[in-house]
Parts: sequence; C-alpha cells; structure tokens
Amino acid sequence: MKAILIDDEVFNLENLRTLLEKHCPQVKLMATAQNVNDAVNAIEKYLPDLVFLDIQMGEQTGFDVLKLVATRNFEVIFVTAYDQYGIQAVKFAALDYILKPIDIEELKNAVNKAHHKSAIQIKSSQLDFLLQQLKKPQTNITKIALQMQSEIRYVSLSEIIRCEADNTYTHFLLSGNEKILVSKSLKEYADLLQPNGFLRTHQSHLVNPKYVKSWLKEDGGMLLLTTGEKIPISKPNKDIVKQALRQF
Amino acid sequence: MKFCNIQILYKNIHLLFLTLHLLFYGFSSPIITASLKKIKIMKKTIFTFFIFIVALSSVYAEKGIDFSHNYAAGGKLMMCVDSSAKNVYYNNIFPNQPHTSFNYLPEVSNLSIKIYFRKDDNIQHYRYTILIDDKPMVVNQSFKNKQMKDIKMPELFKFTELGVFSIKGKIITTLVYSIEKPLAIEKSVFYGKSIPKAKIKGFGIRDVSKKGVEYNWLNDPKEKTNLPLTKKTDEIIIVKDRSDFDYLYYVSIRDKQTNKTIFESTAWQYSGIVEAHEFLPYLEIDKNIFKKSGDYDIIIQPFIKNNKSPKDIKKYTTIYTLSISLDEENYTKKELLTSTLITAFSIGLAFLVILYFIKKRNKKKMAEKERQKTTSKLQLNSIRSQLNPHFLFNALSGIQNLINKNEIDNANQYLSKFARLTRNVLDDRELISLPQEKTLLEDYLQMEQLRFGFKYELNCSENLDLANIEIPSMLLQPFVENAVKHGISQKATDGEINITFEKQINNLVLSVTDNGNGFDTEKKNSGLGLQLSNSRINLLNNVYKENRFTLAIQSNAKGTIINLTLIDWL
Repeated sequence: MKAILIDDEVFNLENLRTLLEKHCPQVKLMATAQNVNDAVNAIEKYLPDLVFLDIQMGEQTGFDVLKLVATRNFEVIFVTAYDQYGIQAVKFAALDYILKPIDIEELKNAVNKAHHKSAIQIKSSQLDFLLQQLKKPQTNITKIALQMQSEIRYVSLSEIIRCEADNTYTHFLLSGNEKILVSKSLKEYADLLQPNGFLRTHQSHLVNPKYVKSWLKEDGGMLLLTTGEKIPISKPNKDIVKQALRQF
Repeated sequence: MKFCNIQILYKNIHLLFLTLHLLFYGFSSPIITASLKKIKIMKKTIFTFFIFIVALSSVYAEKGIDFSHNYAAGGKLMMCVDSSAKNVYYNNIFPNQPHTSFNYLPEVSNLSIKIYFRKDDNIQHYRYTILIDDKPMVVNQSFKNKQMKDIKMPELFKFTELGVFSIKGKIITTLVYSIEKPLAIEKSVFYGKSIPKAKIKGFGIRDVSKKGVEYNWLNDPKEKTNLPLTKKTDEIIIVKDRSDFDYLYYVSIRDKQTNKTIFESTAWQYSGIVEAHEFLPYLEIDKNIFKKSGDYDIIIQPFIKNNKSPKDIKKYTTIYTLSISLDEENYTKKELLTSTLITAFSIGLAFLVILYFIKKRNKKKMAEKERQKTTSKLQLNSIRSQLNPHFLFNALSGIQNLINKNEIDNANQYLSKFARLTRNVLDDRELISLPQEKTLLEDYLQMEQLRFGFKYELNCSENLDLANIEIPSMLLQPFVENAVKHGISQKATDGEINITFEKQINNLVLSVTDNGNGFDTEKKNSGLGLQLSNSRINLLNNVYKENRFTLAIQSNAKGTIINLTLIDWL
C-alpha cells in the first residue's frame, strides 16, 4: 500500500513513520507533507492508496486537503490529538481515525481495514459525504453514513425510527420498515445521535422521539412507537426520557 | 313641707326591707334612685310613706275586700283590695311626676280607699277630689271630724274611708291637698285596666345645617326600620301613641351588638306633634349615643317596679329595631384606644413582615450572588481544564516520538515536564504564585519547543515581589498557547515569544508578545483559546469584584501583543 503522511508537526510525522515501519510493513511510505499545498501535490503525484491525515494543521485542516485533491480514490485514516468537531464529522461519515499519541493496536487495525477495503468509489462517496457535512453547522447534521457489510448507506436522521443493540452490532430500523445491521456498537451511535435528540431509553435501545406515539405505563414504563412497537424504558433513564419527551 | 309622720307598724314581713329604708321623714331614698338607674330625676327629696297595718280588729268583709291588708296608695292614702286579687302594684312613683302615686290593679275588682291623718294634721284644711275615668265624683270635699276614727299604731292616727269602689276597667284618681298649700296636690291613680302596649307612631330625624333645622319623618314604622343618619343629624325623635299615662312608659335603647343598654328615658315631651287635636308624646335622643352603624332595639315598657315588676312584662313591652347607618362612625375613647392600638400593632406587624421579607430577599439576593460566584468558580474550573487537551495530546505525541526515536533521556526530561505541567493544570488551586506560573509557562514553552523549535524569553521586572504574588492559575497559558499555535508555529526557528510580568503602580501587567503573522482582533471567532480566555476573564471579574481584569490585544502582520492587566492587584 502506497501511503502519504500529512501532519504539520515534524515530530508527529517522525513518530508515525517510525511506528508504521515497525508495525505495518505492508505500508509503503511515499511522502510526507507539512502543509495543505504540499499534501495536495504529494497526493496528486503519488496517487496513494492510503493517506494519514492530521485534522488540525495550523490555520488549516486536513479537510482542506480533501477538498483540494481532484480525485479522492484513496483510503483516509484521520489522525488527531484532540478535535471534537472534526472527529464527530468523521464518525458520522463512518470513516476511520486514530488518536495521538498513537495506539499501536489502533494503528494496525486501521491499516488492516484500509487494506481490505476494496470498492474505492465507496470511500470516495464517504469523503464527499464528510465534506458535505462539514459545510453545515455542527448542530444541523441531518444524515449519517451507516457502514454495512458491502456498502455504505447514507440515512437521514429523520428516517431512523430506532436502533437496537445486538452484541457489538446495531440494528437500525428505518421508516418503510427497512432494517439495517451495522457492525458498530449501539454505544457509538448513542454518542453520535443523542446530541441530535435521540433517546437512549434502554441499554439496548435508542429511539427517535419523532416516532414516539405515547408513554405506556405497563411494565414500569414503555414507549409505544408509531410503528406499534413497544420499547422498554429502563428505570434509571425514566426521568431523562420523560423530560426529553416533554420538551419535544 | 310636712305632710305626714306616721309611725309604721311593720308586721308584714315581705315588705320589711323596703319599709325599713323608708322609715324616716325626709328620707332621700337611695333605693329609688338606684332603681331609677340612669334616669335623671329631680334631686328633690321624695317624701313618701308606707303604711302597713295588720291585724286591724275592725275587719269586716265588704265585697270580698280583705281589710286586714293595707297597701300604701300614695300620700296619706291607703287601700285594701279583694282578698283574691294577686298582682297588686302599689304606690309606683315616676321621674318628673311629683306627688303622684300610681297603683296598678289589673286583677282587682273592688277597693277601699282610706286616708290617714296624724295627730297634728289640721284635718279641716284638707280637701279631696275623686274622679272616675275623668268624671268628677267628689270635688274639693272637706273632712269632718266626726267621720274620723282613731287608731293607735302606736302613734295615734285619725282615719276615714273615702269609699269603696268598683275598679274593674276603670281609672280612679284621687287628689288631696291642704288649703294651706293648695298647689301641693297629692295625686293617686288607681288603674283598674291592663296597661296597653305602647306604639311608636313615628321616628324623626333632625338635621341641623346653616339654613336651619330640618325634620324628616318616618310614620308608622315597621318593627325593623332603617335609619340613615348623616353628619348633619343631631337628634332622633321617637313619637309614641297617646295613652292614659305616658309617664308610665320608659324608653330604653339597646345596642344589639354589645347587648348593652345605651339609653333610658321617660322624658316625654308634648309640643308640635299633634294627632286629633291632641299632642303626642315624643322623646328626643341625641344622635351621638349611636357610636356605630348597626341594629338597635327601641324598647318601651311600663315603669312598674315599686314592690315588684310584672312577671309577664313582655306583654306590656314594645320592641322596634332600628338599623342605624352612620356616614361617619363615632368611637368611644376605649374603642379609639383599641383601634389605635390595633392600628399601631398592625403597622408594626406589617413593618416587621416587610422587614422580614426584605431581609429574606436580601438573603436570597446574597445567596444568589454567592451562587453566581460559585457557579462562576465552577465554570472557571471547567474552563481551566478545557484549556489544553489539544496541547496535552500533542505533547504526549511528542514524547511518544522521542521514545520511538530511542531518545530516552529527552523522553524522560519531557515526560517529567509534562507531568509537572499536568499536575499544575489538574491542581484545583484557584491561585498560583508567580514563580509557579513562571515554571508552568516555561514547562509549556519547552514542550512546545519540542514541536516547533522557536525561541522564547520570560522576564519579570525587578520590583515585583515574585514569591508573594499570586494570580489565578493558568491565566496566561492560553495566551502563550495562542502565541505558539497561531503566532510562531509557522515560523519554526525564527519564532520568538516574549513574556513579561511587570508592575505598573498597583497593577500587575502580564504580557505575551510574539512575532507571528498576527490576526484580526475584530474577528469574533478568533480561536477557541481566545474565546475561552475572554469568558474566563469575565468570570474572574465576577469572582474578584474588587479587582478588575482587563485584556488588551494588539495584533498586526509583525506580531501580536497581549496585555493582561490585573488592576490594583499589588
């Protein structure tokens, strides 16, 4: 795999290179870049399979690099020290990221995943999606990318009726009675979707309040959805759910 | 003024008490004045006597009359009534009716009237008149000695019977006088009828104004009557129907609220108010007796209470209720005092309540302020710890790099710097001494040097007592971080940062200068760090009210100067 490292700080580049050489022999480092221009040039010159992209680059961001490259037919692993906003967008787009200081296992996983990803156009569409999301203010995120086995589904949040945990997988129930199984835990989606109003009624249930029909008193509290489904509410979440529904 | 002086025999025990008090000639009767209560009576000595002669041997039955039982009948008169007659109310006297005795005999059919003279009375000078129902039967008749009988009881008296009369349904009046004093006529009334209930013919209200006096009349009132009194009203007038003897009736007024009698009078007057060519008796009542609006009972009763009052007095009693409404209330001294006290008390209480609430509100305000301060502090704390995650992870990343490059000594050095820095950040101390802040900044700058390789200088003016000056911790760090990140990170080794701590009068001036590209100070979204610093300074100004924090930023293409002034800090 041809790879390019992009980071504005030399020691980060050094560090990542050392780690890749040591732990990810399949990665062949083509170039490093410390600013957006160099990065774009390097990408266009070497046409890498994989780009390690720092999100915060001084006054600019790694996203600027993505905006500027003509063809985005490469895997991207975002690298960041701390960037809530950027990471959030990356997560919504179901893209990979690693955090600084770099955890070797995370790095290996991310590289392996990138190695096995085939359909480049899928990646490209995810990046498009990411850039679109970034144009909007943070609170106005309306769509989420769901990583299925062989495809990425972009689902608007209003389409999601509810999510249910299934071990490390999550079932998404969409309007139109469509079910999607995603290989990420409900916890991750709860973190993403709760700021958008979704209700964690239960350890294994996340509900879009838009589809709540009524509050049933049976069995210590249930939510009746417009689909007719009854979703349990666990005791510790009762008050929070009640309050949230009142505001809704 | 000497009428009679008859020594009294008192064997009849039920009158003992009364007679004892009336034993003496010229006796001013406390009992009577007491019984008349508030009715003003002429403070004239009342002369009266009672005779009780029991066991007169000359008892002869005549028309069922019990001659063993003599009742005083006024003046020199005594009377004997039917042995069967029960309620005999004898010798009643009335205010303003001198020489008048009223004997109420509702159950008597026949009576014998006798006159008793003392030894030294000049019997020839006496004349008597008897009227039955206003018709004169005997007029100015004189007494003849030969008619007189002697009786010793124990003083010697001469007596004669004026006659035996059928009294049922009649009024017999006797008049006795001596020609020596023809105006001192002793009058005795024997009333053989039932005393009728009085009737109020009307109420009058007398209003006085500059124009004069104006009367308003309310005729034939109902048992309950509304009587509105104005400021101008000075008198209320009660007009009674005509009766044989108006002086029998006394009027009392009772306040229904307190159930106290506030007025009593028998002072009937005759003038002006006429019905069928005869004057009607009326009574004037000062309006001021009505202190308050409310219901008052006007009670009219016969004044029969010499030996006893009729048990069936209600039969004779007339009650009218007046609803008085005053346009301004009168108050008694007591009421005024009470109401003044109540008012004063209420005002005091209200004052206390208000004081309490003000105190409570102040307390609340204080609590609110305190809370605000606490919140500010909490926010400050959270901001303090929010200042650096980006840096922290980048610093760690730098150390990781040193490790991976096998620069173990360097890694150690930076790791301990990082630890010290983190400790300072995590330390929840509000204030930090200047040397500590200095160390913190140097640690930070050295960590950043690892990344960007710039130069820095940190100077303190000599007149600062460094060790003893404390400032809010992590105050300058965000500005230094900004200088690094946005100022000199692009310039690498050409970058320069200058930090100075200076004393200016009583102010502490902390400044951070960099030679970076500068930024537009007008731009609002000039970085998270600056935003946080601004809000932190606002919060600090909330917490440290007496010291102000001011922030001045100058920025151009040649660099940025940040001056943070702590006013009156030293």
